[in-house]
Amino acid sequence: MSSQREIAVMANLLQNNDIHAEINRKHFQKNNCLAINIIGSPGAGKTTLLERTLSNLKENHQVAVIEGDIFTSKDADRIAQHDIPVIQINTGGGCHLDSKMVERVLPEFQWGQLDLMIIENVGNLVCPADFDLGEDFKVVVLSVVEGDDKPSKYPVIFRSSKVAILNKMDLLALVETDLNVMKEDILKINPEIVIFEVSCRTGEGLQEWVEWLDEQIRQTKGNNP
Amino acid sequence: MSLMGGVFEVIERTLAQHQVKKVTLVKLKIGKLTNAEPEALQMAFEAYAKGTVSEGAELQIELIPVKGRCKGCGDEFLVAGLLFACPTCQHIGIDIIEGEELLLESLEVEE
Repeated sequence: MSSQREIAVMANLLQNNDIHAEINRKHFQKNNCLAINIIGSPGAGKTTLLERTLSNLKENHQVAVIEGDIFTSKDADRIAQHDIPVIQINTGGGCHLDSKMVERVLPEFQWGQLDLMIIENVGNLVCPADFDLGEDFKVVVLSVVEGDDKPSKYPVIFRSSKVAILNKMDLLALVETDLNVMKEDILKINPEIVIFEVSCRTGEGLQEWVEWLDEQIRQTKGNNP
Repeated sequence: MSLMGGVFEVIERTLAQHQVKKVTLVKLKIGKLTNAEPEALQMAFEAYAKGTVSEGAELQIELIPVKGRCKGCGDEFLVAGLLFACPTCQHIGIDIIEGEELLLESLEVEE
């Protein structure tokens, strides 16, 4: 005799990811290391931003990088030229990093000396937003050439990021993007977000971002002396 | 696709504690402030279910609207459009209390 019944479950579908994100978070905290997760669409300028940020910060801080990419090590090769420890994670088709992938590579770094771990996610404005990696906060990179409709089309990532970096400001005059609309929409979605307007090509605005990040690194170290 | 991996992890874990011949219905609760797409979930579900006790089961997705609570006046309200601010006192600090769910609510099974 077969009978039908309902089994109540109420389980979080990301439970497994969240467990490993917590392991990573404790690891970063124990080592007084600020960890940030950089997210943006392909071509927004994540890797270039990273390179500019590294060259400004590496004199005063020990920085390391985890590079997420679907197949290649092109971005990791670019970072390695800056004499920075970098580990490549290839997701093999996966459109985002998850916390287990990050956990697996953590033993490869020299902990104790590191002040900042930058995780560059796979180029994608959608899925990475749902997957906590254990970072202190997310940084969303949006280039102004992508259009002022993007924040309202992809609100989840703007809601869950602490910082929005609007890149390619040097190209603003060449495109239809209304910068005010872009910023207003971002602030409607997340009134507490910190916005930086930069051009990684000309260097415009980068100083403010680097100083802000420098302060975050110092606070993380100060909180756990 | 990775979310569906989570669905099937939960299904496996649940079925390990029960004698089940067949899963006939899987109920999800999905918040609107997530990137889960019902259509994509449906396709991924069929792919994952193939050859398991869940093959042929119905996937039911309940979409949960975004609800906020004002950090200023404590009012609770549905977040209209993209405006994440309190409609009562215009305070901009709000906590999201519903709409971020990615849950497997229940299974209907034949035993």
